[in-house]
Amino acid sequence: MTYTVDPSYQSKVRKPEDFDQFWDGVKAQTAAVPLRPDLRPDPMRTSEDVDVFQAFYTSLDSVRVASWYCLPKGARAQLPAIIVAPGYQSDPGIPKEWARRGYAALALAPRGKLRSRSQFDPGYPGLLTYGIVDRSVYSYRGFYADAWRGVDFLLGRYEVDSDRIGVTGSSQGGGLTICTAAMRAEIRAAAAGAPYLTGYVDSIELTHTYPYEEINDYLRQRPESRAQVVETLAYFDCINFADKITCPIIVNIGLQDNVCPPETGYALFDKIASADKKLYAYHDQGHSAGSAEHGPVIVDFFDKHLRGV
Amino acid sequence: MPTPESPYAKPADFDDYWNGVLAELERAPARPEIEPIPMRETDFATLYGVRLTSIGPYRLFGYLSVPKGSGPFPAIYWPPAYASVLQIIPQGTANEIRRRFVTFSCAGRGQRNADKPFAAMIPGLLTLGIESPLAYVFRGIVADAVRGIQFLSSRDEVEPLRTVVVGNDVALHAVALGGGASYLVCAPALFMDALALAAQTTSYPLEEYNDYLRSSPSMREVVADTLSYFDLRAFAPSVRAHTLLMAGAKGSALAPEALAPISNVLRGGARVYASQQSSYLDGMFSERWIADSLQLGDPILPEHWR
Repeated sequence: MTYTVDPSYQSKVRKPEDFDQFWDGVKAQTAAVPLRPDLRPDPMRTSEDVDVFQAFYTSLDSVRVASWYCLPKGARAQLPAIIVAPGYQSDPGIPKEWARRGYAALALAPRGKLRSRSQFDPGYPGLLTYGIVDRSVYSYRGFYADAWRGVDFLLGRYEVDSDRIGVTGSSQGGGLTICTAAMRAEIRAAAAGAPYLTGYVDSIELTHTYPYEEINDYLRQRPESRAQVVETLAYFDCINFADKITCPIIVNIGLQDNVCPPETGYALFDKIASADKKLYAYHDQGHSAGSAEHGPVIVDFFDKHLRGV
Repeated sequence: MPTPESPYAKPADFDDYWNGVLAELERAPARPEIEPIPMRETDFATLYGVRLTSIGPYRLFGYLSVPKGSGPFPAIYWPPAYASVLQIIPQGTANEIRRRFVTFSCAGRGQRNADKPFAAMIPGLLTLGIESPLAYVFRGIVADAVRGIQFLSSRDEVEPLRTVVVGNDVALHAVALGGGASYLVCAPALFMDALALAAQTTSYPLEEYNDYLRSSPSMREVVADTLSYFDLRAFAPSVRAHTLLMAGAKGSALAPEALAPISNVLRGGARVYASQQSSYLDGMFSERWIADSLQLGDPILPEHWR
């Protein structure tokens, strides 16, 4: 008898009344910071078919953020672009495969990741609970802004077609995909896998595995802070961003996901506002969420929406 | 598709090279410092941060979790990995396993918490110092892995003969060189016929080798020579632990048949498992294998695997 997921699971997440006001403020603060983009060729990582660059830009609170930027060799035409958002503990890979398919590809390393650690580095474990009692200092306030700022970087690139930008990622990258698609109207297509940062308060009851267990560790030490923690997390929960998503979007989940409970994936998908949305729920799949089978689905999805293929 | 195995000759001074590393390790006392981390304590386990000296000398960091109650307990050791983050227990593992096992995860030099003075870059780590077997960073990382297993074996809380080492290539290196484990779960990724495998992929981490050779093509023989000291085929005959080899999916570069050169010579016997491309199915198999091997009854699983 295997675990059975209730697809009609009702999340406990509630949206704060001033949710939009809070994030409008963060966006305005971020926009006031000069982007200062810097692109440095990386000859060692460049191959016969892909040019690789180390890219940098400035984000909220003047934090300098790193990324990998890849282009098809010698690209001059207006290209579709993909933002690749990273997982929680992994460091961003170099997105050469997207460039081989004809995209400008930007793989983000938000604050705290390798090459973006000099100004902010709560560590792992640590990132998930840093400043968790105060939304104005919570780690993901800047982390989300760093991801959204990637759109500004692409908009400044002459080789990128600003009407054809997509975002994708799995796990934390899935969560960042959701909030980026919600908060940046320039995103025209999104593919989110096994979304993390989704149903935080549900997840800490549905599973007792890291990374979500970081929050349980925190609450075990500071039970008196529970109300503040729940209040803060409501501002960062991807379920509360979902009603702002209007672009085409696909979401994949694993029904035996031991990291990001699939119940929260269903709850998220239910709230996505886009009329063009599709959920892929994979049986016998854990946190990999059917990636081997789903990979080609993602490629076809972006080819259709960003390349018109 | 797996390619035919490349010719491999163990370097003539292979044993001297690694005996030298082990001798260097012996001359570097571990001098452990162990401090509780109250934030990660539960009603069933206490977590400690551990600092240890390895060759260099270099100070390492690890997370040691000890069940509450009277031991000794079976143990799981996760040696250093090709990753910047050191996890207490791997993401997605039931925290409850800390009730049953002493667990120890060890950051090799360059990983977080062991990244001063050297912070590893990823990509970059896999080819750092690859111009010479003596300079190659994995010489130190393998030593770090052995130091970790030595530390764990020294703990009174650990039940002898019921320690399992779980990891990638460095796990096999550590068990071959350091012993101290009765069971090994190894998913080769970096050092099994490395250049031949790298030629079949454009994916990291193996793409690091391709990047390096593309920019320094004249170094191919030098790189191959360095990697020959780390090839799992040379280490496998020294592994006496009962081993689960986690192979790639059928048809992939690391499919079971590609691992035959090591699975056939592991001295403690080997079970080779072909990935079903599901972290759930693969993880379940591994958890059950460990529980069965250590005769622990049912494995302790995360909620969504029960």
